[in-house]
Amino acid sequence: MAHIKVVRRSMRPEEWINLRFGWLKRYIYKEKHEIDTFVIKDARQVSEMNFEFYDDEFRALKKGDMYFTPDGTAFIEADYELPAHLEGKEFCFALKTAAEMIVKVNGVYVGGIDPNRERINLSDYVEGKRLHFEIMGYNRSKPDDERNPESLSVRGCRQIFEGGYIAVVNKAVQSLVYDLELLTDAALSEVFNEDFSALVIRELDAALNLIDFDDVRDEDVRAASEYIDKNIFSNKEYKGSGSVALVAHSHLDIAYYWRRIHAVQKNLRTVLIQLRLMDKYRDFKYAHTQAYTYETVEKYYPEIFEELKKRIAEGRFEPVGAMYVEPDCNIPSCESLIRQCLYGQSYFREKFGLTVNNCWLPDVFGNSWILPQILKKSGVDYFVSNKMSTWNDTNRFPHNNFIWRGIDGSEVYACVPPTHFISWNMPSQVQENWEAYQDKNEGGQTLQMFGYGDGGSGATEEMIELMHRFEKLSVMPETEHTTGSEFLKKNFESNDKLATWDGELYLEMHRGTFTTKSKLKEYNRRLEFMLRDAELLSVLRIKKGEAYPAEKIREIYKKLLINQFHDILPGSHITPVYRDAIADYEEIEKELCTIIGTGSEYFNTLNFKRKNLTFIPDENGEVIRRGEKGYYAIPDIDALSSGKISAKNAAADWISVNGYNVETPFYSAEFAADGSFVSLRDKSLCREWVNGDFNKLKMYHDTPGNYDAWDILPNYKDRPCEFTVKKPVEFVKADGECAEFSVIFATEKSEWQMIIRFFRQARGIEVEHIVDWNEKHKLVKAEYGCNVLSRELICDTSAGIIRRETHRNTSWQQARFEVCHHKWCDMAEHGGGVALINQGKYGVSAENNVMALSLLRSTIRPDPTSDMGEHDFCYMIYPHAGDAVSAEINKKAFEYNIPLRKADVTANLPDFGALWLQSVKLSENGKKIVVRLCEQNGERGAITLPEEVEVLNMLEDEIGKTDRIEYSPFEIITIAMNKEC
Amino acid sequence: MEEYINEYIRPRLQGDGGEITFLKQEGNEVTVLLQGECSKCLILDRCLKWIEQRIEVDRNEKVKIIGIRKKPYFQDV
Repeated sequence: MAHIKVVRRSMRPEEWINLRFGWLKRYIYKEKHEIDTFVIKDARQVSEMNFEFYDDEFRALKKGDMYFTPDGTAFIEADYELPAHLEGKEFCFALKTAAEMIVKVNGVYVGGIDPNRERINLSDYVEGKRLHFEIMGYNRSKPDDERNPESLSVRGCRQIFEGGYIAVVNKAVQSLVYDLELLTDAALSEVFNEDFSALVIRELDAALNLIDFDDVRDEDVRAASEYIDKNIFSNKEYKGSGSVALVAHSHLDIAYYWRRIHAVQKNLRTVLIQLRLMDKYRDFKYAHTQAYTYETVEKYYPEIFEELKKRIAEGRFEPVGAMYVEPDCNIPSCESLIRQCLYGQSYFREKFGLTVNNCWLPDVFGNSWILPQILKKSGVDYFVSNKMSTWNDTNRFPHNNFIWRGIDGSEVYACVPPTHFISWNMPSQVQENWEAYQDKNEGGQTLQMFGYGDGGSGATEEMIELMHRFEKLSVMPETEHTTGSEFLKKNFESNDKLATWDGELYLEMHRGTFTTKSKLKEYNRRLEFMLRDAELLSVLRIKKGEAYPAEKIREIYKKLLINQFHDILPGSHITPVYRDAIADYEEIEKELCTIIGTGSEYFNTLNFKRKNLTFIPDENGEVIRRGEKGYYAIPDIDALSSGKISAKNAAADWISVNGYNVETPFYSAEFAADGSFVSLRDKSLCREWVNGDFNKLKMYHDTPGNYDAWDILPNYKDRPCEFTVKKPVEFVKADGECAEFSVIFATEKSEWQMIIRFFRQARGIEVEHIVDWNEKHKLVKAEYGCNVLSRELICDTSAGIIRRETHRNTSWQQARFEVCHHKWCDMAEHGGGVALINQGKYGVSAENNVMALSLLRSTIRPDPTSDMGEHDFCYMIYPHAGDAVSAEINKKAFEYNIPLRKADVTANLPDFGALWLQSVKLSENGKKIVVRLCEQNGERGAITLPEEVEVLNMLEDEIGKTDRIEYSPFEIITIAMNKEC
Repeated sequence: MEEYINEYIRPRLQGDGGEITFLKQEGNEVTVLLQGECSKCLILDRCLKWIEQRIEVDRNEKVKIIGIRKKPYFQDV
């Protein structure tokens, strides 16, 4: 006989409470007067503050009408005469919508409305009986927070107008509603003591019995509130434990499911809402990140910016996060991260007189090991980032309040809050935070951020009202509403009990973001180095009497930094965001080409002699590389010097090909039909490099689920897919320096050509991939099974090397099945190894003796067109003697990534020895030349300079003087020199 | 019609995370494929109606839009 589940049909007490709670909310407004004069004009935003209108004229907007359009902005206006009895009384504007609105009445920005809030106080901001409304509404299909179920149910491009009202709030009902929000969450969330829950349900039921819901009267509502005070809030028998700091914050993605042009209004709405909450609640404080967002308020909404400055001066509106935007912290180079701090801090100093001493990156996808030093030298002592605690898919990150030691040994105080950075300040969320907190005995308070976010929005009146009631709820942890900096100082400074985490803050999720949207990564790398050279060459031209283009370079740098935002560069965004980024990159490249200029000779911008084979673009050249004609040559140009290079017409007799067997001066190689190496025998080192699949392209099904653009799951290897060889590897051509082989793969929809280049004078083997890519949910990797016994993969971080284990002994190594590296990675044993030197590939995996470079993905969410179309990219296989450091792989990687520039300049810079000349620029104050040096090999040493120089921090403040630099492993040193260099 | 859908309608839907591809037109019926956020939109019919209205305004054609959703099997929302 089939089992029949018994369904309880009668209402439980808690259901009965919820039903009456819902009914009570209908009485929040004592009066509502419909505004029936609304008119609307639909538009589409085309750039910051610029709109294309569908019609020239306004049309009437009535309750029940459809409004908003796909990718639309609506301009709504109304004129209304206030009922006489409301003059001098407290009243508000109420409008329920799934859209986001900035509301101006009688010329005053009165507040913001969005799915998380439906009313704005008017009576404190407007005078007179005639009200003129100007509303800018913008409707993005992803609401601010899809954790809010009410928002989720109404998302969509076309909305139904539910009317706008002048309303008067019934404060007694509203207060009881807040009590019920607090208590139903506490009682029904199952995170508190069950006896306490039973008490609350019993007494709430009794309190609500005092109200006749057929005839809700104020005195009954007040009686219910008094009953709750007496029978629940006064009961202190149920003791909570713990101490939680509550910091109001709104996470604002400056691009994600919206373009950067829309973030201007999203940010303004957020700022405005928080300022209005500060007007109402004297104790309310709020933390806001990203100097860029402050810049947009200053630029487009100066009156709000003035209000903002006053609240900042009061210490209530708190700029947090020293950086210009919240960048991805895996892919940007060391210098980019320094500039995030420099331009962020410069803005905060100039506008508010503040040096922000914390880095606030709640949503970034893991944090590079190079960060602590950069932060410390940029005036930052504290670091806050949430995701490792809440998003790790394998291991529980063991600390929340701790010390983070960086690659060079620098230390910052670090807070990885136990719970999500978006919360709505419910008692259960505060309790969950305390329960998840792992440093209860050593770390002091735990940090709970509250406020809606992703697209801004922030704290609500409800969150603050609930917070004011927390102390009445004895079962809760002790709470303190504070600022970010107060929390950090109070709990970290001089706390000698904190544990230390020495290593990268690897996020065990979002591993696909090292690879998704391949072109963004390639552009970012190239432009970072172009900026380096543009600054350097501009400095060298100062002594020729040319003006340093400081403003232009700063503008370009900021544009690059914006595009390093953690939902732009990682690729986790919709189609138009990608188009915007590419357009920015094209513009940056064009402007940098103009600044770099041209000359009669090639100038080596590196501070070491160029002696590795280099591709020289030349329209008469016979090699076509990445669509450009040219030839290969060894420049032989000294550090920071000029020279001429010309193609040599030598015979191609250095290579012999016999079927799949190839002899070069360096190797005896044997191909398989698919272009992989069956053997790669090193003639001078007398050893075989191949052990397994080597230079083998492998395609996998790549279906990580909902976080499609973000994630690669470890089981991708379980589902390899066929990658048919359409045209087996064949010898194509050779000249005096280079010989090319080609193999073509195909699927039903894509074609993939791999060109393999051997060289006469270089042991590097270059691989170029020319791809017409039309797949869905596929990942392609190039795999290298090396004949070395190594248990670590050495990866470039852009400012030193990190060693990652290649075994799978523990869950920590298992979780790191895909990691981020910069210009190169290397697998070596004592006598030699194999390096892969790339030009913009960041994802790599390594297991035992196999390393695999991630080349392309094809995700469909958030962008169904992601990575589709043509690609052309290169990297170098570099077998070598010794280890990566003795083989100077890092120098080779710089040579591979930074081309020779044509420029007629001379340099008078001193010899910086083994230190990498990371940056040469005019100081922000225009008085000195700033030189940044970076130790990248993990070595200690000293250099003597020809004259005394100023030692600077990364904000370009002088911190000393010296003529001798003693450096330690991975140290970054900034000095200032005079303009004659 | 295909050009109009591609160049006028598509960028607007993409602006909200959606995606539309023209499939065919038979008489006054225009069939489109909807992906991305459109594939799971709970109020897609309103948007299709808007597309019909725009086509009427911009192209002086009265058409019926038939939308075919292509929602990935793994998406839970």
